[in-house]
Amino acid sequence: MLSIDNLHVSVEGKPILNGINLDIRAGEVHAIMGPNGSGKSTLSSVIAGNEDYEVTDGDIVYKNENIVELSPEERAHKGIFLSFQYPIEIPGITVTNFIKTAINSNLKARNEDEMPANKMLKKIREKAELLEIDSKFLSRSLNEGFSGGEKKRNEIFQMAMLEPSLSILDETDSGLDIDALKIVANGVNKLKNKNNAVIVITHYQRLLDYIIPDYVHVLHEGKIVKSGDKELAHQLEEKGYDWIK
Amino acid sequence: MSLADKLVSSFLAFELDINIQSPVHVKRTKALKEFEKLGFPTKKNEAWKYTSLKTLLKEDYTIFSKKKNVLDFKNIKNYFLDNTESYKIVFVDGFFDPFLSQTSHDGVDICILSAALTKPCYSKIVSKYFDSSINTKDSLSLINTAFAKEGVYIHIPKNKILDKPIEVLHFATGNEAALMLQPRNLIVVEKNAQVEIIETHQSLTENPIFTNSVTEIFVEQNAHLDYYKIQNDSLNSSLIDNTYISQDQKSVAKVHTFSFGGKLTRNNLNYFQKGSYINSTMKGITIIDDNQLVDHHTLVDHAKPNCESHQDYKGIYSGNSTGVFNGKIVVDKIAQKTNAFQQNNNILLNDKSSINSKPQLEIFADDVKCSHGCTIGQLDQDALFYLRARGIPKKEAKALLTFAFANNVLESVNIPSVKSRIKKIIAEKLGVDLGFDL
Amino acid sequence: MAYTEEELKKELETKEYEYGFVTDIESETFPVGLDEEIVKSISQRKSEPQWMTDWRLKAFKVWKEMEEPDWANVKYEKPDFQKISYFSAPKGKAKYDSLDEVDPELLKTFDKLGISINEQKKLAGVAVDIVMDSVSVATTFKETLSKKGIIFCSISEAIKEHPELVKKYIGTVVPQKDNYYSALNSAVFSDGSFCYIPKGVRCPMELSTYFRINQAGTGQFERTLVIADKNSYVSYLEGCTAPSRDENQLHAAVVELIALDGAEIKYSTVQNWFPGNKNGKGGVYNFVTKRGICHTNSKISWTQVETGSAVTWKYPSCILKGDNSVGEFYSIAVTNNYQQADTGTKMIHIGKNTKSTIISKGISAGKSQNSYRGLVQVNSRAENARNFSQCDSLLMGNKCGAHTFPYIEAKNKSAMIEHEASTSKIGEDQIFYCNQRGIDTEKAIALIVNGFSKEVLNKLPMEFAVEAQKLLEISLEGSVG
Repeated sequence: MLSIDNLHVSVEGKPILNGINLDIRAGEVHAIMGPNGSGKSTLSSVIAGNEDYEVTDGDIVYKNENIVELSPEERAHKGIFLSFQYPIEIPGITVTNFIKTAINSNLKARNEDEMPANKMLKKIREKAELLEIDSKFLSRSLNEGFSGGEKKRNEIFQMAMLEPSLSILDETDSGLDIDALKIVANGVNKLKNKNNAVIVITHYQRLLDYIIPDYVHVLHEGKIVKSGDKELAHQLEEKGYDWIK
Repeated sequence: MSLADKLVSSFLAFELDINIQSPVHVKRTKALKEFEKLGFPTKKNEAWKYTSLKTLLKEDYTIFSKKKNVLDFKNIKNYFLDNTESYKIVFVDGFFDPFLSQTSHDGVDICILSAALTKPCYSKIVSKYFDSSINTKDSLSLINTAFAKEGVYIHIPKNKILDKPIEVLHFATGNEAALMLQPRNLIVVEKNAQVEIIETHQSLTENPIFTNSVTEIFVEQNAHLDYYKIQNDSLNSSLIDNTYISQDQKSVAKVHTFSFGGKLTRNNLNYFQKGSYINSTMKGITIIDDNQLVDHHTLVDHAKPNCESHQDYKGIYSGNSTGVFNGKIVVDKIAQKTNAFQQNNNILLNDKSSINSKPQLEIFADDVKCSHGCTIGQLDQDALFYLRARGIPKKEAKALLTFAFANNVLESVNIPSVKSRIKKIIAEKLGVDLGFDL
Repeated sequence: MAYTEEELKKELETKEYEYGFVTDIESETFPVGLDEEIVKSISQRKSEPQWMTDWRLKAFKVWKEMEEPDWANVKYEKPDFQKISYFSAPKGKAKYDSLDEVDPELLKTFDKLGISINEQKKLAGVAVDIVMDSVSVATTFKETLSKKGIIFCSISEAIKEHPELVKKYIGTVVPQKDNYYSALNSAVFSDGSFCYIPKGVRCPMELSTYFRINQAGTGQFERTLVIADKNSYVSYLEGCTAPSRDENQLHAAVVELIALDGAEIKYSTVQNWFPGNKNGKGGVYNFVTKRGICHTNSKISWTQVETGSAVTWKYPSCILKGDNSVGEFYSIAVTNNYQQADTGTKMIHIGKNTKSTIISKGISAGKSQNSYRGLVQVNSRAENARNFSQCDSLLMGNKCGAHTFPYIEAKNKSAMIEHEASTSKIGEDQIFYCNQRGIDTEKAIALIVNGFSKEVLNKLPMEFAVEAQKLLEISLEGSVG
């Protein structure tokens, strides 16, 4: 599904990623771990197409197409979803209005008809239930005044609504207490199937107890320095990142 | 001949047409004299520092439209509210059009000023209120008074809650090469009465139109006024709107001004609080481009204790456009416990657009809560990426953010068809096909 | 028992202006009036070179054509410019080489002012230039500074000793024709301070000027010029006092700051001119033009505590000409009794990535009027300009007024400007809370005002902060409404 080859990325001329190679097939869960500043969030932003990051070398091939030149919305239309580490607050747009606009934009890009309002409402209710989201929450302004947990739950709610092929969860566990973590993980697991893939970016092993990865990669100074199965995450938890350096 | 000279010298001709024996005419003559002294304001005048009338005044306007064209309702249907029962007062080229209008004298007076100024049954109200609240130093108001003859006359007697809103429409058809219009409106909302009014100026021609409008509104004890100004006129039309609102105790007066069209639009919105526990609210959305200019001048005179005022103006400027906001809050020394709030937020989308903002406070009482805020900025790039990452294309994402920026002004709009009209105009103005609904 | 409001008011009214004494020194004072001859005489009396005399005459010509401005939110009887003496110098030797030669009466004056020069020399390490009735009488620490190449002297001396520097920079930031008072000052300025910090030098001590008007019927027109050469740093302090007199005294100063590439100038003022008595009689008219120009990567920071003067008209400004330059304005303005202050700043963004911050705290009591007037202007080529402004007013009683006149003009789409303003009073609950903890009302007000002003007080150099805090308390004692 996703094949990253020798990816080099700079921000304002400063290199952050220095040759990333990564292959992800449908049905897989990959965890990317690493210390602060290792380039984890950069990797997620680059896959989603943030224009602040400059790809200086290498390719990102998604569903047999090099997407390096595509705009963020084009990538989203093709099924790439990023759960933001810091979801943006947008006063004045309700959660419902926002998700409706997003879904219809995606449908339109695929030359499909807009989703009828009743179907939309039904789906919103269904997915809100899955993530134990109160209906009042849906009429509030997007992320404005949300707690850390509410923001992250809202991200996974959007993921559930948009049904992406590739989901990147950027530090989705940060700012969550254990109950919220379970709800979010449960949501992700229910959405998981053999046709989609998930990249979990995290600093700690904690989330990986609930979303079991098939592969774990350790990122250090912009490179993947070690790959393995879920055991690697446990080892990291015990020994710390110094062990890998 | 300059427009000022032309106006002054046309007064004799104007007098041929009206009853010069009426007490109103004394006011007209006096106003003309004052105008002669002052002339039109220039940029040297502090209140006109950022807005020049030079180009506007250069046109050779016809001051009295000779005739009016006949308009077919089906051609102008779009300018009326959709699916909304309403009273209608329609003017075409400055003349009242009885066929397009739906007035009323059924327990209320929803009609025209020319009738009110001439018929004895209205003289009590007219002598009490007409020309009693305008700024006698403002030459544009003065020249309007001098030629005051036609406009809206609305009188809602006490305890009357009007069953449907009143739409006021001023059309210009281009029957003259360049036309100056000076509607004069008088609105009296008595004790416990309620009214909703929607005002639109619409030119149907490419010919230059200059409207200098004066509206005096009196909102008495416990009465409620909701006023919507929809300014989406053609790019050859300019509007100077002078609105004076006098409020008695416990009354509520809300004015929403939506400015999207027009070449030069100046809104002088003045509130005078004459009792306690008054609520004065003024909100606005301005979205302009090309060489448009929109200038909002507000004044709230807090003269009595325990009143509040809320101001919230949002501006989005692209192209070569210019925005001006001048908000003045005055709190008299006896106006303790005043709560005055003013917010002006602006977004510049182009390097050629500019904004000048002057949020003023003049406070003479100590136990008050007054605050103002002004921001100038751009659309948030992180928010834009967030929206695009969810699949919303750049143009739509920008429009959504722009709409979100202005949205809280719409929240207090109580007539659904006004709200949807504004949303539609915003989408048109931003060039997107989005409903902003749900 | 708690203070009653009446008692507080009474105490405030009887509170004498602490610095209101007259020093009995023989002075040489010019006859009153102003014409070309007086301008020439001032120049002659100071043995100035011809170019300076010409410069003054040019300014005088401009001034004659100008009208006194009336746009400020202040009302006062306009001074009769023909009834003022434009030069007053303490008699005796024109210049002193060391403090020992200074008239002992004068030194006593400084002691009364609380600026014992010797003490300061030892303790604070502050170099002081003292201007009394227009003439610079003492400059301390000259030698220590000259070792680093720093020039700190009176402007008269600078005109003679460093004409190339004065000639190059005077009038470049505040042109003669800039405004009515700057033109007047340019024609008749009698003295003031001059300061030059060479390339890369960090001035090791605070430089300070103390101004005092002493002689009756004189105007004070000092001129200050501070030049910080590339990558240098200087912190400059200015203090002002005047004796209590019935008639109004005029003070019309011009301050020009030049921060060359990478330089930083911090300019702090504690202004405590005589504010007039409780009935609004007398007091100083303080009409001052202060402006700085910032070249690339430089910074100018104005901090002012304005408690004195009957009428203040003052807008320390920054022209952010160079890329990445920074301008700051921190101000506390206190008005009481019949004082009127119209003060604020202008931040003109011309260069790219320029930043400005404005924090203004106005405190009005008695029957005073306190106005903030500011301009933030972003020119069309000033990419990424940033401004944050905050203007807070505190009112005590309903006989005073607080006014805010911010002008915001943006012509570049990348500009980010935020302006906030608020008005509040000292809450009775706050005072009660303090009372309940055993703090008396007067102290409580001092505490609250202090808290209100903290952001600005913190910007003052230590030596001044203490004095400023004391001044705030004195100016406001008992004025709770």
